[in-house]
Order: sequence, then C-alpha cells, then structure tokens
Amino acid sequence: MQLFGQILVNGILLGGLYGLMGLGMGLVWGVLKIVNLAHGALIMLGGYALYFLYTKAGVDPFLGLPLAMLAMFVLGYLLQTLLLNLIVRSAQLNTLLLTFGLDVVFVYMAQLLFTADFRTINPPYAGKNISLFGVTVPYAQLGAFGVAVLLAALLYLVLDKTRTGRAIRATAQNLVAARLYGVNPKRIYAITFGTGAALAGAAGGLYGIVSQITPYIGVTLTAKSFVIAILGGLDKPLGVIGGGLVLGIAEAMAALYLDPTYTDIISFGLLVLVLIARPAQLLGRA
Amino acid sequence: MNRFRWLALPVAAAALAAVPWVTSDTIVQYGINALLVATLAQSWNIIGGFSGYPSFGNSVFYGLGTYGTAIAMAQLHWSFGSGLVFGAVLGVACALLFGIPILRLRGPYFAIATLGLAAVMSAIIATVEIAGKNIGLILPLFRGDTLFYELSLILLVAATATVAWIARSRFGVGLVAIREDEDAAQVMGINTTMYKVAALTVAAFFSALAGGIHAYWITFIDPASAFDPSLNVRMVIMTLFGGPGTVLGPVLGAFVLSAVSEVLASQATGVASLFYGIVIVAAVVFMPKGLLDVVQGFRESRWRYFTDNIRRYRL
Amino acid sequence: MRPTKFLVLALALALSGAASGQEKKITLGAAVQLTGRLANTGRYYGDGYQITVDKINQKGGVTVGGTKYQLALRIYDSQSDTNLGVRQYVQLLTQDKVNFLLGPFSSNDALDDSSVAEKYQVPMVQGGGASTQIFSRGYKYVFGTLPPADDYFSSTIKMMGKLDPKPKTVALVAADDSFDVSVANGTRKLLKEAGLELVVDKQFRENNADFSSILSLVKSKDPDVILWAGHEGEALNFIRQAKSLDVNPKLFYSFTVGVPTADFRKALGKDAEYAFGMTPWLPEKELKDDWFGDAEQFDKEYQARFKYSPDYHAASAAADVETFAKAIAAAGTLDPKKVRDEIAKVDFQSLYGHVKFQPNGQISLPQTVIQIQDAKVVPIYTEDFIGKPRYPIPPWSKR
Repeated sequence: MQLFGQILVNGILLGGLYGLMGLGMGLVWGVLKIVNLAHGALIMLGGYALYFLYTKAGVDPFLGLPLAMLAMFVLGYLLQTLLLNLIVRSAQLNTLLLTFGLDVVFVYMAQLLFTADFRTINPPYAGKNISLFGVTVPYAQLGAFGVAVLLAALLYLVLDKTRTGRAIRATAQNLVAARLYGVNPKRIYAITFGTGAALAGAAGGLYGIVSQITPYIGVTLTAKSFVIAILGGLDKPLGVIGGGLVLGIAEAMAALYLDPTYTDIISFGLLVLVLIARPAQLLGRA
Repeated sequence: MNRFRWLALPVAAAALAAVPWVTSDTIVQYGINALLVATLAQSWNIIGGFSGYPSFGNSVFYGLGTYGTAIAMAQLHWSFGSGLVFGAVLGVACALLFGIPILRLRGPYFAIATLGLAAVMSAIIATVEIAGKNIGLILPLFRGDTLFYELSLILLVAATATVAWIARSRFGVGLVAIREDEDAAQVMGINTTMYKVAALTVAAFFSALAGGIHAYWITFIDPASAFDPSLNVRMVIMTLFGGPGTVLGPVLGAFVLSAVSEVLASQATGVASLFYGIVIVAAVVFMPKGLLDVVQGFRESRWRYFTDNIRRYRL
Repeated sequence: MRPTKFLVLALALALSGAASGQEKKITLGAAVQLTGRLANTGRYYGDGYQITVDKINQKGGVTVGGTKYQLALRIYDSQSDTNLGVRQYVQLLTQDKVNFLLGPFSSNDALDDSSVAEKYQVPMVQGGGASTQIFSRGYKYVFGTLPPADDYFSSTIKMMGKLDPKPKTVALVAADDSFDVSVANGTRKLLKEAGLELVVDKQFRENNADFSSILSLVKSKDPDVILWAGHEGEALNFIRQAKSLDVNPKLFYSFTVGVPTADFRKALGKDAEYAFGMTPWLPEKELKDDWFGDAEQFDKEYQARFKYSPDYHAASAAADVETFAKAIAAAGTLDPKKVRDEIAKVDFQSLYGHVKFQPNGQISLPQTVIQIQDAKVVPIYTEDFIGKPRYPIPPWSKR
C-alpha cells in the first residue's frame, strides 16, 4: 500500500510540471489558433535562461524563475509581432509549418551557443526531501508542482478577472467583434503568445531542476504538451493542470503495474482516445 | 503544344528510370530516398491536399509497411514480394480501423489525433515480441540498389497516376468538395465518411509500400527509424512547398527540398539544419500556397506576389 | 649568374611541388553524430579520428609496399539521423571514393551503416557499437573495438564475489535498445552463474526522463546492488531522482555509461561520488603506443587540442585508425579484400589496449571497474583489486 502511495505522489508531482508544460501550448492554440511546434524549443530556451541565471549570476532558481519568464515573454512577444502575425490568417496548417521551421532554427542556435553538454540546475536543496506518512516527497519536485499550480491559478485569474484577460478571451471567441469593442488585436496576440512563451520558459526552468537540459529536449516535450493541452481543453488553465495530473498519475501507475516501457502507449493512447471520444466538445472550437 | 505536353511526363519517367545506368551510386542512393519521400508526399496529398484533412501521422502507415515487410522477411522468412503485400495489408487495415473514428475530427484536432496514432503505434510495436521490440529487426542483405531504385520509381509513378486519376474523377471532385465545405458536400449527398476513409486508405497503401521498400533497402529497422516522426513534417512541407491538391506539386516539392537538404548535408554540413529551418519559415511566409502557385502568381504580378501574400494573410 | 640561380631555384621549387603533389593518400571516411541528440558522445569519435590521423601523418604516415602514404579523413555530420548517416556512407564510398570506413557512435547506427560496408565489400572498423546484434549477422567486413555488450558487467560481478560484505541481491534496470538489451541478457546469465538473486528486473523505454516508479519499486525491494544500463542522459536522471527520492542500494550501484566521462561528472557535481562504472580504457602510461608513445601522452595531447578530456570512446576511435594503419601496411596494398583479411589477423598493442579481433569481428577487452572518488575516476578492479573501493557506499542522507 505504501508503494502505491509513493507512486501516486510521484505521479501527482510529475503531473503538476506536465500541466505547466501544457498551459502555454493550450493558451496559444485555443486563443490564437496557432499550433506551436516550437513549444518544446521555448521550454528548452527557458531552461537555459534559468541555468545561466543560476550558474553565472548566482540567482536562486526559484527566485530567478520570474526573470527567465520575463525574458521568454519578450521573445514570444517579438516572435508574434514580427513573424507569426504575418501568417495568422492563412491556413492553420501554416502555423504548424512556420513553428516547425522556428523549432529547427532554435535547436540549431542552442547547439551552436550552448553545445550538446548536459546542463543541470543543481541548487543545494535539489536533492533533499521530506517524509510524509512514509512517502518520500522530494523538495525540487514539490517546488515545481507548487509553481505550476500557482501559475495556472494566476493565468485563470488573469483570463477571468482582468481587462486584458477578457480582451484575450474576446479575441479568441470572435476577432471581428472584439475589434469593434476597441481591442487591439496585434497587441493582444503578441501578449498572448508572449505569455505562452513565458509559461513554457517556466516549465523549462523547472525541468532543468528535476532533469537536465540539452538543445534536444524540445521534441518529446512538444509531443507531451500536445497531449496535456488537449486533455485539458486547451485554454482552460485549471483543466490543463488537471490533464497534466491525469497523465502524470497514469504514467506513474502504468510504469509500476504494467511496464515502464508502456508510458508512451499510455500518454498517446489517452490522447487518441480523448480526441475520438469527445469530438463534440472539441469540434465546437474548430 | 498540348499534345507534346503529354509526352513530357513519360519521357521524364523514362529518363529517371535510366538514372542507375548513367550516373553514380550516390545519385542512386539519393534517388531512392527522394523517390520514396516523394511517394509519401504524394500520398499525403490525397488526404491532406485534396481532402483538406492535414494528417500529421502518415508515418504510421509507412512504419507499418516497414514492419510488415521486416517481420515477413526476418521472422517468417517470406519473400520480398510477400513482405511488401503484408506491409501494405497492415497499413490499409490501420487506415480502415482508425480512419472512421479519427476522420470525424476537423483541422488541427485531426492532425494531432494522427500524430498521436503514429506515436501510439510506434510505442506498441516497441513492446511486441515478433517485431523485435525496441531492439529492432535485421533483414537479409541484398546487393542491388538498382532494384530498389526502379521499384521506388514505379511506386511513385503509380501514386502519381492514381492522383492524376483522382483529380479528374468524381471521387476527386467529391474530395475537393469536402475540403471546401464539408457540410455542404454532405447535404449534396456525398457520403463524406466513405470518401474520406477511402482517401486515407489509398494514402496508407502507397505509404506502406514505400516503407516496405525502405525496410529491405536499409536492412536494419527499429521503431524510432521506422516511425520516424520527422517524416510527417517533411511530407507535409514538401507537398505544401510544391502545391497541395495538384498532381505534380508534391513530386516537385519533394525533389527540390530533398535536393536542397542533401546538398546542404554534404557540403555545408555544419549549417545544414539552420538553412533548412530558414527556408521553411521563408516559404510559409512568402509562398503559403506552394511553388506551383508561385509560378502562376509570378507570371501575373512579378515580385509583388510575395508581398501580396503577406498583406493578405497577416493580422 | 642571377638568371641561372633563379632557374635552379624555380626548378627546385617545381620539383618539390611536384613531389608533394604526388603525395599518396589513403582516405578514411565516416559519418559521425557531430550534432543532434547523440552529439554529446559523437564528438569523441570525430575528434579521436582526427587527432590520430594527424599523429600518424606526423610520424611519417603509412608505408604500403615501399611507398609512403599520408592518411586523410573525410567526415560527415550525420546529425544523429540514422537514415542520413546511411546515405552519407554510400556517398563516401561512391562519390568521395574513400578507401576505407570508420564507424559512427551507437549500436543502432553501427547496425545500419555496417550494412553499407558489407554491401560494397569495403572494411569498416567501428568503435561505437557494442551490441552483439552487430556481429551476429555473419558479416565479413565489419570490425568493432568496443568489447561485447553482454560482458559489460562481468568484471563487476566477479568483483562482487570478492567484496566484504558480499552482495546477495541485485536490481537490474536497463533500457530497451539494442545495446542495453544485450547488456541485460548477458548480465542475467552472469548473475545466475554467480549465484546472485535478481530481486528487480525492469526495462525502461530509451530516452525516458522519469524513473520515479522504478526507483520507488527498487526502494521497496531494498537490494544490495543496483546494476544500471542505459545512456548518459538517462543515467543523469536516474541518479538525481534517486537522490531526491532517497533511494539507496544497500551496498553499491554501477552504471554502464557516464562514470568515465567528464561531462557527466560535471553535470552531477557531488552527486556523482561513489558511483561505480566500467571502462575498457584508462589513460595509463602502461598502455604503449607506436604513435602517441602511451595512453597518458594521448590523453594530454587530446586535452590540449580539444579542451576536454578523452574517454574510452575517443581511445576506441583512435584504435580504429591505428588498426587500419597496421593492416594496410601488413597487406602491402590498398585492395579492400586483402586489407580486410589483414584486419582480421591484426594483433598489436595500442594506447587503447591490446587490439585483436575475435572470429566474429569484435574485440575482446576486459572492462575495468571504476569508481568516482573525490570527483576523480579511480580504477578498482580488472582481474583483481587494483584500487581501494569506498564500500559500502553511504546513503544520500549521510553524504
């Protein structure tokens, strides 16, 4: 029973981080209708940003997170303004392709600048843990979980309560109508994509604490983010965290009770099943 | 003039067929790769270009074709021909089985569902004993790249001929109707489900055969290389680059882009991927409707064609 | 007077120019992962090949039947894309017309690329693939300088029989790719022969980032020893997650990769301490070499030139080039078939160790058990103890 409890906690903690990964992708897809294949690359860049803040400037990772997020926000804002806004009204498939091209460029630049060396963000408390009811809870994973839930809650509040948030939701629903109400779409689009990038960056920084960063971590993370974003209903922050939790727990359980080699079958199988089983809910957003 | 245009294609095909005897082995290697990827692009064209259902998981059919042939030859000791058939059967079965539920989704949801399907299939194969699990399978060695080249060429010609037929048939018109306005098409009496599944199945058939040829050619396969996810993006880009919904667009796009990336990989080996990425970004921004449209658009409005594209599609 | 002197000078220059233009070359070709997922280790091969080729040329090149030849190297970046690597190998043979082939890193790539060598009947000496699959196909033109995967834990298990307290239970955690499956299969046999009990036997998908379930299972079974097989990134994750979940083997743990590599130790920092691993090579003065003098010299020159320490991958790569130098000289010709036969017979001492291939083409070298002590790699055991192990290793809470 204790093993079960441990696995459950492992899954929940992992799920939080997963949820954060899906948050940015879901926001951008749901609001801007941009399917961002470079999402994993943004996660990776955020990871490097936090890594350098920690190793070169000595900033504690959890304190440095807002700085890394700010840097990623700026990057995202610029990308949207200078590049993505140019193709937003063409076929949705083009956003996939453009972001794919960006992904290739980002990975290349990362490799050139940072080499293929493994980078870990290893603050002194990274390996510590506390024991609760016989279950070992690692500090780093717990912190990551906390940050993920916090950011999701913040995003939810921003979208629901603030004026900018309402403007974002309005443009998601109906761009023309939103314009009529005085919303500046270019700015809103840029803010949205910037936010998505900032969230990805946060996920990357946390990922560097619990795992490691290389230029190539992006590909698998993009794929996972798809699963989580769709499970959660795209631009519903609380739903996406929920989706992340579902995935994290499912993977942890499957690894123990079935076989660790089944984790991909679980995650992508879930994706396909969810898509097939509730098309009505999702079709409405197509 | 029109009469001679008809000759152009068979002449081109014959010229391509003669390649192994007049050029080096390297060109043949590159040729096999280009022909197979062009077949994939052409197959994608049927479901993505004509029907407007952008699949991001056609690699699943390619992978099943690869594994079907590999299992048949390495584990069951069948002949290459039987292996190809087995691979094609697996691919087609997958399209029929999953096509119906997945084709109910639209746009990017369909794209992601196909991507998920490809990932699931790859993950499942990696746990199957007879498929060699994740350590892969070894096929017998065959010294005869000319055979693979000619087979790949025949496959591409067959796929292109099929697309040419589709373009002129009622089936094709139906697919285009689905692409333009699926609900209206349904109201007009087109059995959209049957049409879509048929399109996916044809695409699966050719993709699986391409995979089968690839398996025997490369002799060692494992899930990662058989279900290579980068293939998905490549076949989509090549078709879009060349012109989706046309007969020759995908072939053109595939040949041009694979030539570019091959040259880059061997000459400018350090910056190959960077250029590739930049080319894609530029292509999407400046020519979102493909090369063939560029040819026409250029004739009409010269350089303004490119800026017009931006003006038309930007926010 | 002046014009004559000028003429003589010009003639001398022309002759020397002609002489160097007539310099004979033997070209070795390879497609190596210089970028992409495997670049971290791939670069050892590119650099290892280069420094050895340069060294051999510096010392006079290779003499073939009385004529001096210089070695040349043609390397392509396969971008960690197996399919591209295959095409590049064909290009090396048919377009660049290289004489012989060197290998890529990784068993999966070696499996595919060696088929090209076999198809074209040009020998390939590769130092990056250890999986038994590579050498079980009956190919005649492939040779490997990495020792067999299924023997990787052999020295470790022998050592376990001589440790005090003696380990009894083992947890085996291995990835599911060709190389690691070979390791796991071989290890199971060895454990059975040694009378050790396998209490956990789990396989994970390669490139897996999350080991929490496996670690929690291992913790619940409380084994004496953890034997782990996979790739570097995964090893990093495993160790860091073991620390955060407070999972400790009662006596020690050992990894098939990472431990001998500087980059790995740097990424883990203090957490790398006490980890056991293995390597077929250490930069020791005792390993004499015809070109570099000894392994210690090789290590120094490599570090000075490339600014990072070589590990057994680089040494293996160097051995591949030296194998060709020896075999070509012995064959007295550049004919691929004859050189292939000479490679099969080759038997010499190098900075990498004793190079001699078994009938199936794979080298047979013992793995030295090593341990990380004070951030340094300390050799512990080959046939017997050569160093003092810090054993049992302290649990995380006591470090």
